[in-house]
Amino acid sequence: MAISSFVLWALRWSEFDLAVLLSSGDRFAEFFSRLVPPDWSVSKLVFRSTIETLMIAIAGTAVAVVFSLPLGFLAASNVSPPWISHPVKWLLGFIRSIPLIVVAMLFVAAVGLGPFPGMLAIAFHSVGMLGKFYAEEFETAEKGILDAVSGTGATWSQTLRYGLWPQSIPQVVAFTVYRLEMNFRDAAVLGLVGAGGVGYYILLYVRGFQYEKVAVLLVVIIGVVLMLDNLTFWVRRWVR
Amino acid sequence: MKVIELDSVHVLYGSSLALDIEHLEIGAGERVFVLGHSGSGKTTLARLIKGRLRPSSGTVRVLGRDPASARDRRRRQRRVAMIDQEYFLVPRLTAVENVLQGALGRVPPWMSFFGIYPRTEWIEAESVLAEVELDGLGHRRVETLSGGQKQRTAIARALMQQADIILADEPVSALDPELAEDALELLVACVARREVTLLVDLHQPELARRYATRFLGLAQGRLVYDGSPEGFTDEIAELVYRGRPADEAAGSDLASPRLTLDAQETKHVDAETGLATANPRSDIRLVGD
Repeated sequence: MAISSFVLWALRWSEFDLAVLLSSGDRFAEFFSRLVPPDWSVSKLVFRSTIETLMIAIAGTAVAVVFSLPLGFLAASNVSPPWISHPVKWLLGFIRSIPLIVVAMLFVAAVGLGPFPGMLAIAFHSVGMLGKFYAEEFETAEKGILDAVSGTGATWSQTLRYGLWPQSIPQVVAFTVYRLEMNFRDAAVLGLVGAGGVGYYILLYVRGFQYEKVAVLLVVIIGVVLMLDNLTFWVRRWVR
Repeated sequence: MKVIELDSVHVLYGSSLALDIEHLEIGAGERVFVLGHSGSGKTTLARLIKGRLRPSSGTVRVLGRDPASARDRRRRQRRVAMIDQEYFLVPRLTAVENVLQGALGRVPPWMSFFGIYPRTEWIEAESVLAEVELDGLGHRRVETLSGGQKQRTAIARALMQQADIILADEPVSALDPELAEDALELLVACVARREVTLLVDLHQPELARRYATRFLGLAQGRLVYDGSPEGFTDEIAELVYRGRPADEAAGSDLASPRLTLDAQETKHVDAETGLATANPRSDIRLVGD
């Protein structure tokens, strides 16, 4: 009861209006009708910038993994003492809470326009989530195994490497490829603030009402997302 | 030579007494089997000796040192191997990779960071695997092995450690009786070749009898029998396995460190089993008697 009235309140807040939505069918139809025929002349340009977005996502994810793994170990309460794991968790939460678009604007201001600030923004933002996911995954590790490995006389780092890591690999890989997929979609809008990739053209064509060109954008972006989705599936199957 | 020594050891979990041992000494090369039902303190004793647990009071000395102290931890951990009831192998790693972990205490950390083990350790791991009759299965992931094979892998990892003491906590409880017998025989044979001190927690006295040089009987965290396997009579077994004091007060009597076998308790055993309880034979030592 309390929840449903809260949701109703939220709907009111967002100016939900069923009448407007129902009468909008014509405008949707008009939008879709203007997508065809797609203007394939821009396909080369769109394709190139989509690849740039993909590369931003890949590089950003890779950089994020390099930072997230050690932070994940430090944030995991089963292998790090609370005076380390708590502040690191807090730090990861802080990183997560800054909207990506804000991070991207900051980096654009700091290092200039282009794909480089985009990659930095993706990397920074991903660390917040990947570090948290990794830490949570490490925390599910079987304690008995950690004790057993450490009981052989293994050092802390050896225990992580041989007791914790082999238990966590499949989930760590799954999270990482999932994050890569998300990063591609995130990177696609980074061009809005001048941080490289296909986002710039989205802004340009949508604002310029050039829907024939937007159609090409949609086709290429959806194609890449589907491809990544497949990749995720295969990688997860492969690493078990 | 004493390798394990406990003095006035109390272990409390919250307010309940898990272990209460006045004095216990185990010498080098002994094969001690600890008997008692679940919750009698067998695992607690093993964990104390391994250094995973500190006593609430009293001293524990293993190879002359406090096993739970942080100083020189790596070397001390290496000298005491533990085989857990659930084995705690890494399921995704192969059998030989799990066995190689036994060598971590002597492999330089930088080397193992890259997953490298010295050649000599690989040769050792293969030979230990052959010793536990798993030759040819080293490349298999542990998750694909049978229960008996996992058990042998766990034994191999402990042997690989080249420890002075091997602790085994209910090592065969997950196996069916025949496999359990084989595994225990194998463990004892491997240990005998190495002149290692062995301490095994076990439920089944009849199985332990074949391999032990000494029996310890634990009930309610207290040592109620310490002597030869021959002296572990049915009456004593009754006491160890069924001798739960009828009144819980006796179990939580912290003031008295030794279990006193009062008449009421003996009568309780009688009533439950219908057996006449003879006095303990004079050639065995009943703690508290």
